[in-house]
Amino acid sequence: MRVAGVGAYTPRFRLAGDAVADALGQFHARGVEAVAVPDADEDALTMAAEAAQRALDAAGVDPDAVDALHLASTSLPYDEEAGTGRLRSLLGLPENVASAQFGGSTDAGGAALAAALDGGGGADTVLVVASDAPQGADDEALGHAAGAGAGALVVARDGPGRVAGRASQTATYPGTRFRERGQTETTGLDVTSYDRQAYRETLAGAVGELDVSGVDAAALQAPDGDLPYRSAGALGVNPEAVAAGSVVEGVGDAGAASAFLGLADALREDDTDEVLLATYGSGAASHAFRLVCERDVPVRAALGSDQTLSFAAARRRRGDFDSGTPAGGGAYVSVPSYRRTLAARQRLVAGRCRACGALQFPPEGACPDCSATDGYEDAPLRRRGVVETATTISQGGAPPEFAAQQARSGEYASAIVAFGAQGGGDREVSVPLQVVLAGDDDTPGIRDEVVAVPRVLYDQEGVRRYGAKGLPADARRR
Amino acid sequence: MRDAYVVGAGQTDFGSFPDESYRSLFATAVEHALGSADGLTREDVDEAVVGTLGVGGRQLGLSGPAVTEHAGLSVPTTRVENACAASGYAVRNAVQAVKSGMADVVLAGGYEVMTDASGDATKYWLGVSGETEWERLTGATFAGTYAQMARAYLDEHDDATVEDLSRVAVKNHANGSQNPHAQLQFGCSLEDATEAATVADPLTLYHCCPTTDGAAAVLVASEDVVAESELDAARIAGVGAASDRVGLFERDTYTAIPASERAAEAAYEMAGVGPDDVDFAEVHDCFAIAELLAYEDLGFCGRGEAPELLREGVTDRDGDLPVNVSGGLKSKGHPIGATGAGQIVELWTQLTGRAGDRQLDDPDVGLAHNVGGSGGAAVVTILAAPRSEGQR
Repeated sequence: MRVAGVGAYTPRFRLAGDAVADALGQFHARGVEAVAVPDADEDALTMAAEAAQRALDAAGVDPDAVDALHLASTSLPYDEEAGTGRLRSLLGLPENVASAQFGGSTDAGGAALAAALDGGGGADTVLVVASDAPQGADDEALGHAAGAGAGALVVARDGPGRVAGRASQTATYPGTRFRERGQTETTGLDVTSYDRQAYRETLAGAVGELDVSGVDAAALQAPDGDLPYRSAGALGVNPEAVAAGSVVEGVGDAGAASAFLGLADALREDDTDEVLLATYGSGAASHAFRLVCERDVPVRAALGSDQTLSFAAARRRRGDFDSGTPAGGGAYVSVPSYRRTLAARQRLVAGRCRACGALQFPPEGACPDCSATDGYEDAPLRRRGVVETATTISQGGAPPEFAAQQARSGEYASAIVAFGAQGGGDREVSVPLQVVLAGDDDTPGIRDEVVAVPRVLYDQEGVRRYGAKGLPADARRR
Repeated sequence: MRDAYVVGAGQTDFGSFPDESYRSLFATAVEHALGSADGLTREDVDEAVVGTLGVGGRQLGLSGPAVTEHAGLSVPTTRVENACAASGYAVRNAVQAVKSGMADVVLAGGYEVMTDASGDATKYWLGVSGETEWERLTGATFAGTYAQMARAYLDEHDDATVEDLSRVAVKNHANGSQNPHAQLQFGCSLEDATEAATVADPLTLYHCCPTTDGAAAVLVASEDVVAESELDAARIAGVGAASDRVGLFERDTYTAIPASERAAEAAYEMAGVGPDDVDFAEVHDCFAIAELLAYEDLGFCGRGEAPELLREGVTDRDGDLPVNVSGGLKSKGHPIGATGAGQIVELWTQLTGRAGDRQLDDPDVGLAHNVGGSGGAAVVTILAAPRSEGQR
């Protein structure tokens, strides 16, 4: 099995270490200048979808062609209920896709990749996705370093990336980093030399099995921007190689996605021929891979951003300053009703009337053009559309189901956006879409372009609903 | 088919009444309606049609009998739900019952209590008439959907400005300040309206109607009943109704309400009149943009000409075609289920010369225009004054 393409995504907001130091009087994340902050309507699954879509685009692989999905994370929205089910629908993978979920520690990404390379249960094309947004206390280094991001690899029979060697290690180091059942914040005993030993020895156990003398870049697990460099010697790589495979300085600790983000960053450089990818997780376990690029491995990565938030704005997005979804009821769309519309709601699959061929959205009910009730053929829409009309819902004016999001992210736009069908041709259809605004974004103007992205709509009765939202086209990072 | 007449009409004050219930409000409106129809009593009423959205939940099931029995009307009662057009449709159903001969006297009315719920619950209920599965899940509000229409209108018509939206508020507040039944009995300036806090861009607070408690009721009777009485009877010359897709995004235009156009067309045809024959109108101005669209949808002017009509004072109370002399939804208030019947109350009051200080100069033909949601339903009713019919 080979690596056919790589995708990566980080949220567009950054919280600078200086801003944390100003607010809290301390910032203990070594080697971290800023951390990525998910928007209020992003979570590990929406980030996973963003990265996975980029990997598929980079590899030129159609979602229909994926026959195994491996998802790695330590921060999925549900402790129980497969996240792969949600991710499958966000991406439009076939229902007969084999799936596996990896968690338990930040080594999950490496474990997911190793399982894919083992043949993914006989699969020809495996989509491996690692996505994470760890959280920690405001008075602990782990909390200061906590960032976010997702990386994805398309592993297939053919591809320019050859895995020339791999190894893994499982050691026993309790207490370095853990989260008890039901908790949201990860912590550790902070026994400095013990923690460093656990990282160094466990990683070295795997990396030591490989010939890494020729690597241009070492994409190492990076809980901060210090540990990878401190351990470089023990791993047999030089600091320049570590730097070439690291994004932790500007993204923070991306948990299970950490090394994947470093890999994507390294592969963006044309002269990268050989990369060490090494994941590590507390407990402790590690996986190491030597990737040889026989040709350039295609990458699509949204890694950088200069859109910074104040400390308060970052914590507001996390939900620290609001009381959550208010009582009083919200628009009630039952879960079965929501499920019936996933293709249209998440992937903008419109329909062509079986009687008259007119493009319609949503594809349900009698055809507005010919009144026939013959049903519709699937007609996926393009991701980029044009605003027909829009308004900004002022702060405090959101309906209850969007009140928490508005309190966290600020005002959003409610728009009607015209999208054409993929493959072009005939007319466009009008799709109601929330447009995510950020910073100084104005209400999108009529005729402005927006791009559909996967986001959380809202939670109701404990069940999260995902759907497409719009992002102003100029705010969309490739 | 025989003719139907409005022979009595009454309403509560519109406002916020913590000491009243939806039942007591409705009973008060019924009292006023019966009191206005000399000689008619509860026993003469054959049937009732009641409009309500049911804001707050309350008695969602059997909400019709819940109010008619409380008001002492033990007659077959039907509840009509068409969002803000509920009681406009209730009046239409009453007309159908009378014209068909199944009933001689029908009470048509509506009620809503909107000001007693928590802020969050109110925000929930105010959105229930938007299209729920798609439009609402963009975080759209009721004001937001009309704001999208306003945005599209201002974009389409270079001449139209936000000040034109404010002019609707200025005019309707001026009218409402004279109406003792109105909720917001104060005037506002162009500056007040334009510079008020934004609710949903470009709509400010003054471009939006308030939430309101209130009830209204009208008595619809047959020509046979009228012939044998001394009732002040305004003939229901025409009534037209139309439905459309509930979501704005599902319609071909965002700068017109096609259901209003079709309802008006049907009402004009039935009445044998045209827009030029209308002397005054009560139109559905839930948001300022809605009044501008109404001028065009009802044929009072061409597309894009509504701002000019307004600026020239044509629709002022002393203009050629006064619109919303009651204050409209903007100033009189908008108790959702009562609004349509409340418009008929104003028409009948003016056409029978009962408006006192607010009386228009001998109007012959009045038009009421009532819209549900952002245009999923509309009903237009045309009433003719008794004297224009050759009665007393």
